[in-house]
Amino acid sequence: MSTIFPSLEWLEALSRKLNSDAKYAQIARNWEGDMCVVIEPGGPLLEKQLYYLDLWHGQCRRTEILKDLPSIRPKFVLSATYDNISHIMKGELDPMQAMMTRKLQVKGSMAYMMRNVPTVLDFVRCAREVTTEILS
Amino acid sequence: MCAGSDYGNPFLTMQPILKVNLTSGETTDYIIPIEWERDYLGGASLAARLLYTDLTQSLDPLAPESPLLFLNGPLSGTSGPTVGRFVVCGKSPATRLWAESNCGGFWGTELRFCGYDGIWITGKAEKPIYLWINEGRLEIREAAAVWGKDTYESQSIIKGEIGIPGAHVLTIGPAGENGVLFAGLYCDHGRAAGRTGLGAIAGSKNLKAIAVKGTKKIPLSRPELYAPLRSIANHALREDNLSHVFHELGTASVVDYADYLGAMPKKYFHSGIFEGAGKVSGSTMAETILAGVSACHACVIACGRVVRLYDGDKRKGPEYETIVSFGPNLLNDDLAAITRLGEICDRYGMDTISAGGTIGLAFHLFEKKVITEKDTGGLFLRWGDVKVVEQLLQLTAHCEGIGEFLAQGARRFGQHFGSEDEAVQVNGLEVAYHDPRAFSGMALVYATSPRGACHNQSEYFEVDMGQADSSIGLKFYDRQAGAEKSANVARHQDWTTVFNALVMCIFANIPAETVTELVNAACGLDWDVDDLIRSGERAWNLKRAINNRLGLTQVNDKLPKALLEPYKDGGSAGYVPPIAEMLAVYYKVRGWDPITGRPSREKLQTLGLEDVATDIWG
Repeated sequence: MSTIFPSLEWLEALSRKLNSDAKYAQIARNWEGDMCVVIEPGGPLLEKQLYYLDLWHGQCRRTEILKDLPSIRPKFVLSATYDNISHIMKGELDPMQAMMTRKLQVKGSMAYMMRNVPTVLDFVRCAREVTTEILS
Repeated sequence: MCAGSDYGNPFLTMQPILKVNLTSGETTDYIIPIEWERDYLGGASLAARLLYTDLTQSLDPLAPESPLLFLNGPLSGTSGPTVGRFVVCGKSPATRLWAESNCGGFWGTELRFCGYDGIWITGKAEKPIYLWINEGRLEIREAAAVWGKDTYESQSIIKGEIGIPGAHVLTIGPAGENGVLFAGLYCDHGRAAGRTGLGAIAGSKNLKAIAVKGTKKIPLSRPELYAPLRSIANHALREDNLSHVFHELGTASVVDYADYLGAMPKKYFHSGIFEGAGKVSGSTMAETILAGVSACHACVIACGRVVRLYDGDKRKGPEYETIVSFGPNLLNDDLAAITRLGEICDRYGMDTISAGGTIGLAFHLFEKKVITEKDTGGLFLRWGDVKVVEQLLQLTAHCEGIGEFLAQGARRFGQHFGSEDEAVQVNGLEVAYHDPRAFSGMALVYATSPRGACHNQSEYFEVDMGQADSSIGLKFYDRQAGAEKSANVARHQDWTTVFNALVMCIFANIPAETVTELVNAACGLDWDVDDLIRSGERAWNLKRAINNRLGLTQVNDKLPKALLEPYKDGGSAGYVPPIAEMLAVYYKVRGWDPITGRPSREKLQTLGLEDVATDIWG
């Protein structure tokens, strides 16, 4: 079965992956913080998407597709255009590079983010691995 | 001497330069030729044009006739984005090539408020003096009370003598007085024109300091256009991710990521991993000793760190280069010790990159048993021993014992002990801490920089990290790509040269179109981005021609041995940049002669440098 990014199926597949991947569990064992990924519309994506993930000590405790941000106050809000986030998902753009170069906007503690570079990168690895197709 | 307000310059904005001959005491106002201001804008580019004929191969950089030029740019001191900088230029006593080093803080802005955009020093005072420029009036004062004092004390004492609030003091420390070849000039809480040894030139002239205070208005060609533009630019800069990162974590924010990529040198560029790297990052600083932030004039980023150590006093916190220089470079993971070592350098007036780089070489040679305790005066150089590092810094600043050789920088230190090839330097300037084995673009940057192994002539590591701004014609290549990125590197060098002309901080991550509009509004020009980059290319080639006149050839465009040996581990393991191939393409892109290393006659003529073409080609 194909898992198209972005979709509810993709978010659920990512949650399962994060909760079953031994490497992620090890690398992210000290991570404490939920996040909301905001994908701005563009190209084939017609509406803004908000994906919520509650990440805690190498596990994903909850996921949800949100309608708007005020309903929740996550530790991190990561925002990007669909184009940029597609580049990240395809492996064409390093997520840390994206954060450092305004292609992926970050609201939240950059200190925490910079301190946990391996966790960020392994989270993105998991996200890429569950993606079989990108909306086009 | 008093600067006039009307000096016949209807379009561009640079004010006169105050020329001071310290031997005769003679002073004059030098009006910058308008065509040079148009072609070079200001800062290091304009300085290269002004000093071109004075910098000869036979000139001793520490002789009285050696020039020392302090220069602003056309945006300096305005409320534009990150433009509170000035540059110091001359002939480097360390490299004997073109020297430039720019500096933040508030001193350059205050000089503009005096009605001057530069100070051009020649000659040598009979005894130590400092200059006091108050509203454009120059007074030469005795500096006996501050000679021998460190840069912090000197600023404080001179401000006390002046007694006028708001004055700013640029000074050398004991290192500059003693002729340390990597001595710099310092102002405003450790802000430094640190590289290439310009502090030693000031010291050789018995020039301890320059104090400035003014209230004049900074000229702008089209102020009604400039004001809204700088608001837009500052707003964009406030919203920029990199600005957020630098504000929150300082330039040391990149420590964790640089370590992950294998871009942060450890153990004097000989180890790919160091477990203590995380203990010295900007994140760790923010979570432990950070007590505040500091900013240069009108800067919305505020990357400067204020930290509080065990004594409870607030002090300047280290930035990335200092952290790596006295941290991973020497296998030291003590952030408080790094802070202290950085402050020792600032107080003595020594560049932290070169100081740590030269001491790193000493540790490396000690480990290889090339030098022993007989050479070090009984000091055992054990990696990570910060007490020994502190002792070496003191010896260096006073040129005592082993410090006599450390004070001459890595190349000469290596030569003295028969190991020049072990020194990680290019043309006499110690390599900054952005490893070209992780970011191959830095290989070309270091090999071709006009002042030696410098990262401020192109911070290409940011491009290699993904900041490839298409508006200035940059493409993104893999961080370990080869010759295909040579043209990109040249383009980025030209763009950075514009920043060093303005003189704008290289952390200003704002769109090229906005920079161009700001320049147009300030200078009364009607340029596009390509015109601006062409100005940078012109100055890059002019500096190259200066260095050719000083004896530089294509043989000088190379990397030290250590950077051409792959790391065994870490994020850049197994890779070395193909520097020969990269250089071959670079020369073609630049229009440089591969035999002599000079810009071709045609290239110089294309850039409007006919006189330079005639000078170096006949």
